[in-house]
Amino acid sequence: MSTPADTERFLRDVRLFREFTAPDLAALAHSLRARSLRRGQVLFREGDPGEEMFLVRDGVVVVSKAVTGRVEQVLARVAAGDFFGEMSLFDRSPRSATVQAETDAALLVLDRVALRTLTRENPRAAAAFFEALVHVFIERLRASGDLVAEVTRWGLEATGLDVDAR
Amino acid sequence: MTDPDVASPRRARLELLVRRQEDDGFEVREIGSATAFVQSRPQRVEAGSFELATVPSRLAGQHRYILKNTTTDRFLLLSEPEKFLWEQMDGHHSLQDIATAYVLRYGQFDFDIIPALMAKLQRAQLLTLTPTSRLRRALARNRRRRLVKALEHAVMGLERVNVSSRSVHGIFSWLYRWGGFLLFTRAALAGCVALAVLGAIAGASLWDRADVVVSGFAVSPVAGFVSVKLLFFLTVGLHQAVHALALVHYRRRVREFGFTFLHGFVPTFYVDVTDIFMASRRARVVTAVSGALVHLVLGALWFLVAVAAPTGSFVQAFAAASGLIQWQALVIALYPFCFIEMDGYHVLVDVLGVPTLKSDALAFTGALLRGRARPALGRMEALWLGYVVLSTVSIAAFVALNAWLIVHATS
Repeated sequence: MSTPADTERFLRDVRLFREFTAPDLAALAHSLRARSLRRGQVLFREGDPGEEMFLVRDGVVVVSKAVTGRVEQVLARVAAGDFFGEMSLFDRSPRSATVQAETDAALLVLDRVALRTLTRENPRAAAAFFEALVHVFIERLRASGDLVAEVTRWGLEATGLDVDAR
Repeated sequence: MTDPDVASPRRARLELLVRRQEDDGFEVREIGSATAFVQSRPQRVEAGSFELATVPSRLAGQHRYILKNTTTDRFLLLSEPEKFLWEQMDGHHSLQDIATAYVLRYGQFDFDIIPALMAKLQRAQLLTLTPTSRLRRALARNRRRRLVKALEHAVMGLERVNVSSRSVHGIFSWLYRWGGFLLFTRAALAGCVALAVLGAIAGASLWDRADVVVSGFAVSPVAGFVSVKLLFFLTVGLHQAVHALALVHYRRRVREFGFTFLHGFVPTFYVDVTDIFMASRRARVVTAVSGALVHLVLGALWFLVAVAAPTGSFVQAFAAASGLIQWQALVIALYPFCFIEMDGYHVLVDVLGVPTLKSDALAFTGALLRGRARPALGRMEALWLGYVVLSTVSIAAFVALNAWLIVHATS
């Protein structure tokens, strides 16, 4: 069982909170909930309602999107120090992908109430948080573009489709 | 010379998460596009959905064909090689089979013709792709039975076991330079013949006193049998390594070497020798046969060890059994009539020019037994029937021989 001090130490290495001061981190550590997953356990499924984002403290989770039947495409692996689930936190839409634990995993949950508290009580830290978030979004957008290109290339190579001839 | 591994871009890989049916668990599988491509089994549309007509030509030997999709009324003009490929796309043959058939038929391989034709056929809605093996499809059909379901899971699990490398050409080139080339000399051939003769003499002398020889296993026959099998399994890797050296000898590329479970349940080493199709028929035959000769040499050596070992000892029994199993492997590898597409089978279909002999023979015999094929026999039908009958008899004889040997050794 980790203490708030352990959580604070972990948060210091998370890029979203790199600009946070020690008191900011201490306040944040108190507003986060711990959650653990067994290997193979599904945290949430595509289409589920959601109002939280998650920080991976330990282990690895897999983000996947349904393709057909029991088959899903792996979109990303999220490891310690990284986060996921932020889309539903901000736009209140259903979960856009399914998340499950590839190994036993420990998570920290940041819900809407905690985010509102952070924004209201510590606007400077909140601004740093949002700026870091935007940087990560840009990286993920680029990665999504690369993934689309890779999947398209896979399809062309696997089916032998000759696009030049079209 | 450009290194193809450097020149060509990395093959795309796709990561899929597959949920298990029985629980909430899942597995992540990485599937390379190249694997999916060569294992796919293009299936042309049903017979009633297309028409094929020959286009008259004023040039002798220049045949063209018109393929019409009767559902969409789309037409395609096919060349003779394209028509040949179209006929192979029956959903049973993988692209690898089809490429082999093409090489054997035309003596050359155009790397672009198959993908280009498939693209053309797909646009005309004349083709579908079935990527799974027939065994897997048969298991999937009967998944409701618990035993079949368990078997399917086991096969799926084993199919994913693949330890291989695509960067082995340098290693085999090095091995070839540092002694491997000696295997492809007249002296090595003479050595093989001499060892075969000596091994046969030794084997015959052991056979005369078989009862005493196998008595060495009397203390622990099962342990003896299992250890002989395990040691033999390692020599399969040597067999494949010699195939790879043969490729280097003919200045072709060793694309891959590895370990996998053949058909999902037969543990085996393998080497990708497809580049040898670019060489002469002699090169293909030598490559096919040279690997099998490993078993000839090892078998003969084991027989000689058995003759020299104390009579009735475990060492003698072990060496004799190892020699026997090596020579059995030699026969299985080179004997083409056993329903297994081993080296001898590849030489046979290469010489006959019938690359799909096994699948065609099985399809014809099946149809004949179900009363769907005409009993009238032409040359091809006779070849198909001959293949099935010879293979069935050979397998029965092989099983009977092994059963007799095991009973004899353990009684």
